[in-house]
Amino acid sequence: MSAFVRRGDVVLVKPNMAWDRLPEHAANTDPEVVAEIVRLCMEAGARKVKVLDRTCNEARRCYLRSGIQKAAEKEGAEVPFVLEQRFVKMSIPEGEELKSWLFYRDAMEADVLINVPVLKSHSVSGLTIGLKNLMGILGGDRGQLHHRFDKKIVDINTVVRPQLTLLDATRVLLRNGPQGGNLRDVQQMDTVVAGVDRVAVDAYGALLFGRDPAQLGFLVEAQRRGLGTLDVKRLRVEKVTLSA
Amino acid sequence: MRTARRISQVFFLLSFLWLVWRTTYPYDSLIPADLFLRASALVAVTTILTSRSLVPQVLLGLLVLALTVPLGRAFCGWVCPLGTTLEVVRKVSSSKRKAPRKTPSTRWRWGKFAILVGILVSAVLGTQLLWPFDPVVLLTRTASVALYPLFTAAVSGLLGLVARVPFLEGAAYRGYALLYSAWFPLKQPPFHLVELFFVLLVLILALEKASRRFWCRNLCPLGALLGFFSQFRVLHREVDENCSACGLCKARCRMNAVEDDYVTTSAVECIACGECVSVCAPRATHYALRKPVRSGTVDLDRRRFIGATVAGVATVGLLGVGFVDRGRRASVIRPPGALPEADFLDRCIRCQECVKVCSSTGGCLQPSLWESGLVGLWTPVARPREGYCEYNCNLCGQVCPTGAIHRLPLEVKQLTKIGLAFFDKSRCIPWYRGEDCLVCEEHCPVPDKAIRFDEHTVRRPDGSEALVKLPYVVEELCIGCGICVTKCPVVGQGGIFLTSANEQRWPGSESLSQ
Ligand code: SF4
Ligand code: SF4
Repeated sequence: MSAFVRRGDVVLVKPNMAWDRLPEHAANTDPEVVAEIVRLCMEAGARKVKVLDRTCNEARRCYLRSGIQKAAEKEGAEVPFVLEQRFVKMSIPEGEELKSWLFYRDAMEADVLINVPVLKSHSVSGLTIGLKNLMGILGGDRGQLHHRFDKKIVDINTVVRPQLTLLDATRVLLRNGPQGGNLRDVQQMDTVVAGVDRVAVDAYGALLFGRDPAQLGFLVEAQRRGLGTLDVKRLRVEKVTLSA
Repeated sequence: MRTARRISQVFFLLSFLWLVWRTTYPYDSLIPADLFLRASALVAVTTILTSRSLVPQVLLGLLVLALTVPLGRAFCGWVCPLGTTLEVVRKVSSSKRKAPRKTPSTRWRWGKFAILVGILVSAVLGTQLLWPFDPVVLLTRTASVALYPLFTAAVSGLLGLVARVPFLEGAAYRGYALLYSAWFPLKQPPFHLVELFFVLLVLILALEKASRRFWCRNLCPLGALLGFFSQFRVLHREVDENCSACGLCKARCRMNAVEDDYVTTSAVECIACGECVSVCAPRATHYALRKPVRSGTVDLDRRRFIGATVAGVATVGLLGVGFVDRGRRASVIRPPGALPEADFLDRCIRCQECVKVCSSTGGCLQPSLWESGLVGLWTPVARPREGYCEYNCNLCGQVCPTGAIHRLPLEVKQLTKIGLAFFDKSRCIPWYRGEDCLVCEEHCPVPDKAIRFDEHTVRRPDGSEALVKLPYVVEELCIGCGICVTKCPVVGQGGIFLTSANEQRWPGSESLSQ
């Protein structure tokens, strides 16, 4: 972690905690994964670690029932609620569909941004993974982004550039995403994928899920615009197996 | 005695406000949020009459009523949050040095009895009409959906101003964070009719300008009910021979319960506040227990009694024959667990407890306007475009003081249908424009998704062809929570809407829209 976080940095960790669902439903990032990241950041000397998300259900419910608030606070993170007043309109110079949108100030001002999506199914985009998870720092009516989604989501990602993406695939929601609710839709995979090339991380996640990354519009679009590579085979992938 | 009473009044007013504030997610209050409403004897009596059953929620009100028989209207003097509010307003608005005003007139005393008779007569006929007048209901309503949002808006607005000062910005945001962490709703939805609630309260408070406790003496039906029962009280005001006839007790009596001889007291009007005991210089006045003999009169002559009865019957009749069209009715989505419509209307006291608690979670409930006719005014109704019924929430039933909304266990609530969603294909983006959207499907909380989609090749308005995911509703699965309606990104009226079709009422089921 010290490769990313320097002493005195303000780190923003962006998990998915958008839904009023319990950890076992795999709709949100696993609280233990988030807590561990917070711990590592603290160890690396971060001055402050913030964990936040603009939720879909009522925020208090999501923060509480995802288990993330408690787990992250225990490791010393701040877990503030998103304040509507703190969204700033920013232009998207490389945007093809979107020329500007509202972004959360804390995320844009942080020294280090760590994106911690959870791997799950999603009917519009095919999957929610890293690129899509960053919708959680957007303001405004995000529903508007859902049509011509592939382009818009890449537009957003040309502005927000997380230094590190950690994909939580400890539990994976296979069907009825993004919030599920049925334990039989959840599969235990006990895997976390980390990388600096966020497109590659997403592509790797798609493979884990059993999807061909080349079939996912937003990943193809992201590669075309130079955000990263889909060609996972050409990457150096290091596998570490941890014993529990 | 005065100090004791003031402590009690302040204690109960603060408890009242605390409970209003605590009517919020996460609702874990050991003390039920609707405690004060349940303590209103008028709520208890009318609920028993309209529902013809002894629902457990009303027992506290009956206890208060029973205590009135020995103790008199102590509730009015020591507990009632509206009574205390009136006195606080009087304290802060009138200048100290003014001599006590002339004793208030007794001319309008009959008013409260007439209102009470009207309410009771309509309750006997099965219609709940206490809600414009019961002081606890009235104050709960106003505090919950008018004063509280006003307060939070004021504080947040103030912090917003502070945040504009460059070097105070950090502090202001820390302030926000603190407030939102526990004290404030993260998002305070606006409510229908708050202005009206507010104006009504202001009017009642303004009546203090006419004379002390004008509302309590002349208009309050709860006071009238308690007064009627306290005719036979055993706790009495007594005056001994030390009385110098200075008249201070009469001048200070906020209820004008002391007669011209300074000795006789109206058992009906006296609220046992003890002001007379406190001001009596020769200490000639005190409270004593006496054998219950009927004393004090209920100021309602036969003519007015008949008048109030006729008014009650006529109101019930008119409400009953009022016209509500099918379209309007279909938009009446009731909270999960609501009784069948007719019973619901007769049971609901429009206190807005459910609306308040809902605003802290899904935020769908609003006081209704005319959707279900005048008879349904201010009853809770879901406004799905503004908010939705949260899948993991069953709070409204937990805070309802009369059982108009049944307490449903969460697993039951999650299966309870309150309405049915329909796509408006002329507004839904995939249907009319031929582009993917599916925000509704994304948010549908039913584990197996009540919104599904098929992929079809469609012709877009510009003539091109595209493969599009076209959504539809699975009627059997849809519970009518309405989150799809809330989140639909179409501007204005959404591409999906809700009607009360398929709704289940509790117990049993009845559909409004059949
Ligand atoms: S159950 Fe639904 S209607 Fe009732 S309070 Fe919760 S969100 Fe509101
Ligand atoms: S109302 Fe909409 S979101 Fe709710 S269950 Fe029905 S289809 Fe799903």
